[in-house]
Amino acid sequence: MSTTQSTGAEVRLIDVTRSWGSVTALGGVSLHVRAGSFCVLLGPSGCGKTTCLRIVAGLDSATSGRVEIGGRDVTALPPAARGVAMVFQSYALFPHLTVEENILFGLKARSVPAPERGRRLARAVETLGIGQLLARRPGQLSGGQQQRVALGRAIVAEAPVCLMDEPLSNLDAQLRAEMRAEILGLQRRLGITMLYVTHDQTEAMAMADQVVLLRGGHIEQDAPPAELYARPATSFAAGFVGTPPMNLLKLAPDGTVAGAGGPVLGEGGARLAGIRPEALRVGETGIPVRVTHAEYLGADTVVACQAGESRVLARLPGRAALAAGTPLHLAADPADIHLFDAETGARIATRDR
Amino acid sequence: MTRTQLPTRVLEILGAWVLGIIWVLPLLYAVWTAFHPAAYATSFTPDAPLTLANFARAWEAAPFARYFLNTTILVTLILVAQFVLCTPAAFAFARMEFPGRDTVFAIVLLQLMVMPDVLLVGNYRSMASLGLVDTILAIALPYLGSAFGIFLLRQTFRMVPQELDDAARLEGSSLMGRLWRVYVPLAKPTYIAYGLVSVSYHWNNFLWPLVITNSVTTRPLTVGLSVFASTDQGIDWSIITAATLMTSAPLLLAFLLFQRQFVQSFMRAGIR
Repeated sequence: MSTTQSTGAEVRLIDVTRSWGSVTALGGVSLHVRAGSFCVLLGPSGCGKTTCLRIVAGLDSATSGRVEIGGRDVTALPPAARGVAMVFQSYALFPHLTVEENILFGLKARSVPAPERGRRLARAVETLGIGQLLARRPGQLSGGQQQRVALGRAIVAEAPVCLMDEPLSNLDAQLRAEMRAEILGLQRRLGITMLYVTHDQTEAMAMADQVVLLRGGHIEQDAPPAELYARPATSFAAGFVGTPPMNLLKLAPDGTVAGAGGPVLGEGGARLAGIRPEALRVGETGIPVRVTHAEYLGADTVVACQAGESRVLARLPGRAALAAGTPLHLAADPADIHLFDAETGARIATRDR
Repeated sequence: MTRTQLPTRVLEILGAWVLGIIWVLPLLYAVWTAFHPAAYATSFTPDAPLTLANFARAWEAAPFARYFLNTTILVTLILVAQFVLCTPAAFAFARMEFPGRDTVFAIVLLQLMVMPDVLLVGNYRSMASLGLVDTILAIALPYLGSAFGIFLLRQTFRMVPQELDDAARLEGSSLMGRLWRVYVPLAKPTYIAYGLVSVSYHWNNFLWPLVITNSVTTRPLTVGLSVFASTDQGIDWSIITAATLMTSAPLLLAFLLFQRQFVQSFMRAGIR
């Protein structure tokens, strides 16, 4: 906390588009990342999140629109002049250079004087605990160590904005959880602005101050994780976030689950009712379903059921021993029922919220 | 399984041995003749006396020291110029976008199909009009730009991950900085492989140097050897083979020493 580090700069994208010929990768994306905050660009593969990041970095140019970093229009600036550091998915370590040379690569290219280089290297090494690796080459490091070196190269730049492109996707599950905490801690300590790309919603929920959910080159929802979870703006956002994600049930004209009957969940019509698996409980009344199989996870059990035409997942506490074919009624509080337009996927405001 | 494959395997081994023996026979003959007195040149007598006199006579009979120097200057000049000229060209073809890039590259590749010998007369005329006839530079000049080198390096540069280039760009490297600090070091195996091919080709090249040179101060080893073998010595095989061994020894030794690296760098460079 006491270390005087560069503090973050805000990042602003204004109506940025990117197309290759007739293919549109980004269609009018506008977003604002506050200085010093952790913003995650989330979405399935091909949604434009990496393109978005590369446009901020200057490695790709926008077809139209404007990019501002720290209030400065950087749309036409080359990557090196934008004040950004980046960690690549493959780490992009130079295989012919040692760890030390890799970390200092940028500082040498920018002709930072040697004493200053030494000072920054020492600090990065101490922060990341990679002192014993300095003389090795990337080929002699494990995935986690390579990841640390890539982080080291990004932090010695002391850039106000750090960009990360799926930095954890090549690590195993346990290391991923560790590095998640470490990256978040690093970002908080250095106070830099982070733009982080991932397709893993758990990462987004765990790390972000702000999640930007992208789909097909458009922003689906831009909100803090809690709001993304509690009030998904679209049925896509509802079905993308959460483990397991939200159930989306097709409603019959009378407002009950199509093909299953049961209670009225909302006004009928072309609607989808969204209910989180953890909001469902077994009750006397409720949506009549038939169990297809149950997955015991330790703390709880995820029960897969068939409700008419729709599949429903319910997260029940403890070990629910339910054989396939068992009939059940699943109930939920009206407050936990979200309604979406079946055509557009847009959220339909309900009376109480 | 082994039973059915056994005949094939025997044939393969037999074939390999026959080809190997046919290849090495002239060399063995040269070694035999060079190290024995002339009397034994055509008769194989196991206990024939060994001698180094042939080498001494050959060395004194023609200015081989000068020829060695000429060849060394020649191959060094060509190699350095090829590296310097092919690198930026290959980089441009591999990683830069400009209109007509593929057309220009196709034209460069077309050059691979033109045998240098076809251009003998044309090249001689050019050298004559430049006033360079009978100089080492004239031997080298037609080979300084190499389509093969450009092609090979382009393929290697294309295999360098784009993310490395991006990372270097982001870290503030200029175009030349990226070429020098990222692409060239990563293409080292290709440079070694190409360097070996280039050196051995130009060390052994004969026809063009024969045409363009006519004095001791410019002649490379190959031409010097042929001049020596045809006119000066008649058919004294002992001396001719001694001279031949002498002139090919550096290459032969280098190949034996670097055999492993040579084969490996070719495997890595993707050419066989």
